[in-house]
Amino acid sequence: MTAPIARSTRRRTRLDAQFDRIRAREEAGEARSRGGSRTFNKFLNNRLAVVGLVIFSVIILASIFAPLLTPYDPNKIDLRGMLQAPSWEHWFGTDRTGRDLFSRVLYGGRISILVGLGSAIMAAIVGVLIGVYTGYVGGWLDALAMRISEIFMSFPQIILVLMLVSILGQSLLNLMLIFTLTGWGGIYRMARARMLSLREEEYVLALRSFGLSRPLIAYKHMLPNALGPIMVNITLSTAAFILQEAGLSFLGLGVPLSIPTWGNILNVAQDLRVLQTNWWIWLPVGTVISLFVLSVNFIGDGLRDATDPTQQG
Amino acid sequence: MLTYIIRRILILIPMAFVICFLVYLGLELTPGDAVSHMISPDMLGSMDPERLEALRQSLGLGQPFYVRFWSWFTNLIQGNFGYSTNGGVPIANIIATRLPATLELAAIALLFSTVIGCILGVVSALKRGSATDSALTVVGMLGVSIPEFFFGLVAILIFGLNLGWLPVGGRSMPGYLTFWDRVPHLVMPSLVLSIMLTAGVMRYARSSMLDALSRDFIKTARSKGLPEWRVNVLHGFRVALTPVVVLIGFRLPVLIGGSVIIEQVFQWPGIGIEFISAVRSQDYPVVMPIALLSVMAVLIASLIVDILTALIDPRVRLGE
Amino acid sequence: MTDTQDIAISVRDLKTFFYTNNRCNRALNGVSFDIKKGKTLCIVGESGCGKSVTAASIMQLLPDLSRIEDGEIIYHADRGDIPLHALEKNGRDMRRIRGGEIAMIFQDPMTALNPVYSVGFQIKESLRYHLKMVGKAAHQKAISLLKEMGIALPEKRVNDFPHRYSGGMRQRAMIAMAMACNPKVLIADEPTTALDVTIQAQIFELMDKLKREHGTGIMLITHDMGVVAELADDVAVMYMGNIVEAGTVDEVLRNPTHPYTKALLSSVPVLGKGKSQDIKAIRGSTPDPLNRPKGCQFADRCDFAIDQCKAMPPETHMTSTHRVMCWRYKELSAHE
Repeated sequence: MTAPIARSTRRRTRLDAQFDRIRAREEAGEARSRGGSRTFNKFLNNRLAVVGLVIFSVIILASIFAPLLTPYDPNKIDLRGMLQAPSWEHWFGTDRTGRDLFSRVLYGGRISILVGLGSAIMAAIVGVLIGVYTGYVGGWLDALAMRISEIFMSFPQIILVLMLVSILGQSLLNLMLIFTLTGWGGIYRMARARMLSLREEEYVLALRSFGLSRPLIAYKHMLPNALGPIMVNITLSTAAFILQEAGLSFLGLGVPLSIPTWGNILNVAQDLRVLQTNWWIWLPVGTVISLFVLSVNFIGDGLRDATDPTQQG
Repeated sequence: MLTYIIRRILILIPMAFVICFLVYLGLELTPGDAVSHMISPDMLGSMDPERLEALRQSLGLGQPFYVRFWSWFTNLIQGNFGYSTNGGVPIANIIATRLPATLELAAIALLFSTVIGCILGVVSALKRGSATDSALTVVGMLGVSIPEFFFGLVAILIFGLNLGWLPVGGRSMPGYLTFWDRVPHLVMPSLVLSIMLTAGVMRYARSSMLDALSRDFIKTARSKGLPEWRVNVLHGFRVALTPVVVLIGFRLPVLIGGSVIIEQVFQWPGIGIEFISAVRSQDYPVVMPIALLSVMAVLIASLIVDILTALIDPRVRLGE
Repeated sequence: MTDTQDIAISVRDLKTFFYTNNRCNRALNGVSFDIKKGKTLCIVGESGCGKSVTAASIMQLLPDLSRIEDGEIIYHADRGDIPLHALEKNGRDMRRIRGGEIAMIFQDPMTALNPVYSVGFQIKESLRYHLKMVGKAAHQKAISLLKEMGIALPEKRVNDFPHRYSGGMRQRAMIAMAMACNPKVLIADEPTTALDVTIQAQIFELMDKLKREHGTGIMLITHDMGVVAELADDVAVMYMGNIVEAGTVDEVLRNPTHPYTKALLSSVPVLGKGKSQDIKAIRGSTPDPLNRPKGCQFADRCDFAIDQCKAMPPETHMTSTHRVMCWRYKELSAHE
């Protein structure tokens, strides 16, 4: 054989050292399988989900047990004590009419979370009911439902919500109804897609041959199979609705200003002076909203990993 | 290819019509009618009831619903949107003056989020599992969790008020001559508007890229001895691009909706801020056409996205 | 050993290990063979025995969590001998060879071609990078390649996208792409497994023609003994990372020595022999690669196993070309 021509040889990389270690361990007989990179990602996501769950629980519990955590009435006006910076007496300070901000955030959390979670669940119920049945049955009913949902989804949601708010007026119940009306489309689509794929499964044909009615098959037998993605969707919708409510109330067009919500509290930040000098009025609230939505997103991601094993890292 | 476009446009038309109808229905449900929409409340109170009734008749308000709808609709197509209850300004004028500002904001935000989102997503995918990847993932999560307006407020506080680097709002000042004078005003609103979409694009681009890189044709490309960048970009990203473009199409309504709030935060003189003040003052003749316009924008933008998708992915052209 | 003038690639004692999940998997545990110019070497074995890993090692296309641990892969080029195992995986030298002088085609032509680029584009990529051919010259060359591979209407087809091609045509296009730069060696990893049997025959005919006309050395990976009988000049039988038997196709098929080879041959039904032919499945299953038995890997499934098989048998040459890894080769072989 003639002498080799190419002089270049492979560089040793970080991986090479890692490989040598693994090989040495293997040859010494101490090898054990441990999580590789894909399992690591799952683990990380689970850790984030756990962190999310912790933050979520802290905030929700704080809101529920608000009376135990703060002596102040969130709506009590005290003009002598207005615009106080955070102190031991008022952990988040006071606002322009002397109301304690910490208790406003806690009580406001109740409403915001109620709106978010409540609307998400209602939208899910509507979307699933329609999606599961029309998806299974097909035909003109399915086409009609699809067209209607397409129309709803062509509207930028805020614009549709504001339009309905201007027609129906502002109230807590109205807002939740409007959110449900504008938000059912997403879950509907997803439920319908699951139905379409499950429809062809054999057990459905078997149930049909037994003479079971179509609604029964759709709701009782196929629905449980779609529950995983539905749960994920509810958590992510909650986050979206909370953000929406915050935005609307910030504008003064969401929940009426008499009821404290996280967004309402932020309403005063439209004033640039308040923005700069009275930072405690709006910064803590905004941070709480962000933390809460972040935690919900973490949980939703973790749920998605848990229910969909084919998901790539 | 052409048939594909024509088909998509043909589907669009009936849907647009139905939406117009629904919007008009909404208009009908609101308190007041065309007369009160045209004359300010004070004047209405002081007017003679008989004259009012005559006015109503002359405007055809006694006519059945579908006649009124048709005249409203034909007016709409011709560009006559009616008049605002605040001062009787022709709505078409309002829209014409405000629309460019909103388009400017939305276009820049869209461009930014697409480009930056794709770049970050691809980088994240190529460095999968590394610290960069984890950091970017967390940043992405933050991007979709923090309310856009809150981000805007913080940005105004830091860059506008405390540091004074950028103006705190508005689009332009007297004395500005060129586009470049206005750029400092553009920076914060467009960046803040783009955050959520960028985070979404980044995440989707990452997973789409990972999926594309795991496919067989990547092995083939490598086996031809092509350099890594060409394999990753020309083969990998090119295929990963299609789902990302589709996603952007889906998220367009969110972008348009987001501009409504951002315009308010930054006092940007666009259609969004006009919409909000119209809702606040219950100026329905303004609310409805703007809502309609936003839907049309979404539909047209979706059409453009569909055409783009067909252009970059030959499999779509055959309707597969 | 034979004169290296005839040999395109020599592989000596190649070891490739995989390091996933923090374990060390010895996918290839000392593999040696030659790919001769103008001849076809068939590598046969069950799934998971390491056939594809061998091809990936030669092409330096191994995944990130693996490496060539030991051994040599020498490419006998006109300009000298090049140690492929020592080259940087994606460095310029290796990339120049990969695709330009050693090419590879894959199992599933449907997924192996990029769906968003035309077939012509993908062929011209090779031409541009290796032969610096661009523009009209490249276009014409692409057309003539498609024609040579038996694709009808090549002038029109060259601009079509892969999904417009049928399965057999796609594989022909892949071969056209691989042969574009007239490589010295073509590695084919189960190229017809995903195709109909009739198309299979056509593809193999094509490969044979290329071998004769261009003098390309072919390394054909397959699990189908019938293909071996048809096409091979030389055979190497692989099991769990070792070549248990190798030689010319005559030697190995007429005189199978290793129990695994014998078992493989008797598990293939022969057309024409009728219903009553004796088809034996090989008992047991392949061992867990992470938990290998000591010594000969086939011992648990072997009808001829003895105590000595607990130690790995050495490679013994029965003739100058026929070698086998078995303690009992003398009894099992029909050689003198």
